[in-house]
Amino acid sequence: MKKSHMASILTFLLLVPATLYLGTRLPGRSYYITSTLIIIELMIPFFLAYEGRRPQARELVLIAVMAAAAIASRVAIPLPHFKPVFAVIILSGVVFGPEAGFMVGAITAFASNFFYGQGSFTPWQMMAFGAGGMLAGFVFQKKGLPRKPWIIAAFGFLTVVLWIGPLLDCSHIFLIMSKISWEAVLAVLLAGFYANISQAICTVITLLLFGKPILEKLDRVRIKYGMTN
Amino acid sequence: MMEQDAFGKCHPAVNFLFFVGAIGFGVLIQHPVYLAAGALCAGIYYMLLHGAQGWKRILQLLPLFVLLTLINPLFNIQGERVLFDVFGRPYTLEALIYGADVAGIFVVMLLWFGCYNRILTGDKFTSLFGNWIPAISLLLVMVFRMVPGLMGKSKQIAAARRSVGKGVGTSTRQKLDAGMAVLSALISWALEGSVVTGDSMRARGYGTAKRTSFQLYRMTVRDGLLLATMMFLGASVIGVAVMGGMGAEFTPRLQIAPVSGWSVLGLAAYCLFLLIPTAMHCKEALQWSISKLKI
Repeated sequence: MKKSHMASILTFLLLVPATLYLGTRLPGRSYYITSTLIIIELMIPFFLAYEGRRPQARELVLIAVMAAAAIASRVAIPLPHFKPVFAVIILSGVVFGPEAGFMVGAITAFASNFFYGQGSFTPWQMMAFGAGGMLAGFVFQKKGLPRKPWIIAAFGFLTVVLWIGPLLDCSHIFLIMSKISWEAVLAVLLAGFYANISQAICTVITLLLFGKPILEKLDRVRIKYGMTN
Repeated sequence: MMEQDAFGKCHPAVNFLFFVGAIGFGVLIQHPVYLAAGALCAGIYYMLLHGAQGWKRILQLLPLFVLLTLINPLFNIQGERVLFDVFGRPYTLEALIYGADVAGIFVVMLLWFGCYNRILTGDKFTSLFGNWIPAISLLLVMVFRMVPGLMGKSKQIAAARRSVGKGVGTSTRQKLDAGMAVLSALISWALEGSVVTGDSMRARGYGTAKRTSFQLYRMTVRDGLLLATMMFLGASVIGVAVMGGMGAEFTPRLQIAPVSGWSVLGLAAYCLFLLIPTAMHCKEALQWSISKLKI
């Protein structure tokens, strides 16, 4: 069996249950540490699988470029608070497949925090962006949904509002609430709702205006240089 | 790259282990005395690293602390001493104290992350993990290099557009369109470049053998001693915690373990652990001023 497969099985069967067990045994509010550890442990198999299959130089540079473009995209658009970051991640997932989508998302989150500051949310953001990019890759596969800009935009809106935003809010719930109750969760989610909606609207605008030309360009580069995924 | 202080010049493993310990203990230990000690140590080191601006940022955290303290009892109605009712739900003293504790933990964590971002720069992270995850470290290094490059390129594209009369414009719609055009041009430029870079890497033999990496940081005797000290102090803190010296329950009733007798050792170990970077920073500053006096 391949080393990376072994690592995934060990993670799911041993590491995660062990963390959960220890987490329940710890006194006080240990849920932040427990949940963050589990998030990190869930990402390990993805990264190990990527390392294990020894990616080609072209794939590496491609992912690095898309992640760097996602980070730099904030500067390219002369509007304050307009972040097209997630739109770029979705588009790379759509064109280059689920694995590239995950890597672009996770690396974007991690690397951008070296510029804007790491925090308690870093692993959560990596997971949220990575899984979002991967989902885009699965949904818009060859046999999946058609790659129309408005469908991708609708997908982008739903992922930001239902997955990325709530996941990041969760990391805050675990840190700032002394007692977890449904009301507390609801309050934090509502407080984050405005920010999540504005983030989702940025994503939708970017995908609608920019989806078609960039899809064509990405596909052209992919076909021109024979990068079939 | 930013100038590093004495602690920042240590081996990245020392830096990383310290922050894992400081942030991990900080989030897990709820005992108010330990929290106060952590806040003091984190605040001192934060100010040493950030200078005059440090004060301002710490003061900016105060409103956040107050807000989180006041919000918490709204969602935690347990407790014995009811202060008043909010929307028909009791607002208790115990929950308020618990809220202050939780808010304090959050603020201390923010301070430690502020220090972390100064100390553990990208090059240190990749040199620390480069041997375990070579492909991903290489990815990170490439991203660190490309981001400033792409930002420069996007300015170049915008300037070229201005020179042919396609300036940014004033309305939001025009700004958005201009931005999208720049972003689109940026991505195609960067992608074409990436293919060339990738092929060039392959031509030079990327992936034909195990990657070796240039190590900028060497493990010295001092780093080894520091690691051993940190592990010993950390183990002492964990030991006292396991024996119940740091227990603290707030709701429904305040039950806080007294810090006396043997459990003082835990507090002492915790403070010594957290003061390592401050001590190194101050020692270097002192040595510097003494050697300046000798001139």
